[in-house]
Amino acid sequence: MALLDDLREKTMKGKRKETGPLVQQALDEGMDPQEILDAMIDAMGIIGDRFTKGECFVPEMLVAARAMNAGTEILKPALAAGGTEPLGHAVIGTVAGDMHDIGKNLVRMLIEGKGVEVDDLGVDVAPEKFVEYVGAHPECKVVCLSALLTTTMPSIDATIKALADAGLRDNVKIMIGGAPVTQEFAEEVGADAYTPDAGSAAAKIVEFF
Amino acid sequence: MIIIGEKINGSIPKTGAAIAAKDEEYIRMLARTQTEAGADYIDCCASVNEGELEVEEWLIGLIMEESDLPICIDSPDPQVCVDAMKFCGDRVGLINSVSGEGNKMDIVFPVIADTKWGCVALLSDDSGIPPTAEGRIAVFEKIMAKATEYGITPDRLYIDPLVETLGANSESLITFNECVKYIKEKYPTIHITSGLSNISFGLPVRKMINMPFLVLAMNAGMDSAIMDPTNRDMNGVLHGTLALLGEDDFCLDYIEAYRDNLFGPINRD
Repeated sequence: MALLDDLREKTMKGKRKETGPLVQQALDEGMDPQEILDAMIDAMGIIGDRFTKGECFVPEMLVAARAMNAGTEILKPALAAGGTEPLGHAVIGTVAGDMHDIGKNLVRMLIEGKGVEVDDLGVDVAPEKFVEYVGAHPECKVVCLSALLTTTMPSIDATIKALADAGLRDNVKIMIGGAPVTQEFAEEVGADAYTPDAGSAAAKIVEFF
Repeated sequence: MIIIGEKINGSIPKTGAAIAAKDEEYIRMLARTQTEAGADYIDCCASVNEGELEVEEWLIGLIMEESDLPICIDSPDPQVCVDAMKFCGDRVGLINSVSGEGNKMDIVFPVIADTKWGCVALLSDDSGIPPTAEGRIAVFEKIMAKATEYGITPDRLYIDPLVETLGANSESLITFNECVKYIKEKYPTIHITSGLSNISFGLPVRKMINMPFLVLAMNAGMDSAIMDPTNRDMNGVLHGTLALLGEDDFCLDYIEAYRDNLFGPINRD
């Protein structure tokens, strides 16, 4: 599988101009779209692990994710035609009052890399928005909340309470993260999981499907 | 950024001693370490009173064996510079240097005219370093006129506007940058270089002057430096500045240089 090794390598190195053509070549050679996707998912997994160990840096994750996106754009029609199902559905957002998005985006990219379909509600997302989304999307099984400021951490609490008040809390698992967030805080607000970085978030989320 | 590695220069005491002792291994080590540290050219200056050309031949031979990089032939004597070109085989390098002084250009420019060789040009003349930017720009115009006459295109020229010691002239950088901006605006493809460590001569903790000089001069348009590429502090500042100036997409070159251990803590565990 030299071609897929090449695709894996190019994805890891963030060569977005090369991943698309490699995916196309793999499809042309009749390879299984799922297998092609798995090669890129592998690559993101390796990058995520390296990031967790401090061996690679934020921009390298960004370019790798971008390279994978370039590949999946080509792959999407084939995946849809083959009826390949995503691992599951999740929603992600930075909580109310908080405009930070780099960490949230990294988590989204790595989660997508695990084959999860993720809707990204963006930054400064009010609790009601999450409630509305979860109510409208019964297929969504995980809610990922990000907060980068001690002053916006209470919005995590408020979001979880809003989901509970709407009777939706038991429909989803809630994962939280962000620089000031801790395991202790997660327990305090009744989140299902806290992860300290993007790589571990991606590793954790698969347990919820 | 084009880095001309400065360490093989007989005026540096350790290198001078190695040249006097014909210490091949030391010269080879300098060529190797500067190459590994990401230099683009290896400067080669014998800095001896007698037999300069023979020493240049010996040095260039060692560099050629140890490194694939082109040579920057460095001598105050332009005739030695052009005579030493033949030791470089088909490796196209740089002559370091001409200036508005004497007949330097008349010796060098005709020889390199129909080649791809580049040339460092200092903005000084027979009366020394003009104190004002206007004075240096006048020398520059003279050099450009001569280069044009010989069909030497701006991209082959490495203009060194020269830095005076900051301790003696507090406007040193200001004057330097005025020249840089003027020249770069007029000839966008020309290179600006600097043997920058002179800026801090006579001051304590010289890197505290050298590093911000590099940043400020790069911000003005300097795109080359004659420096020690193995200096980790300078390397870090250099790569950080390139990233800040928008010349390094996603900071990937910065990260690569860090990973190549060109700057940052030496021991990483």
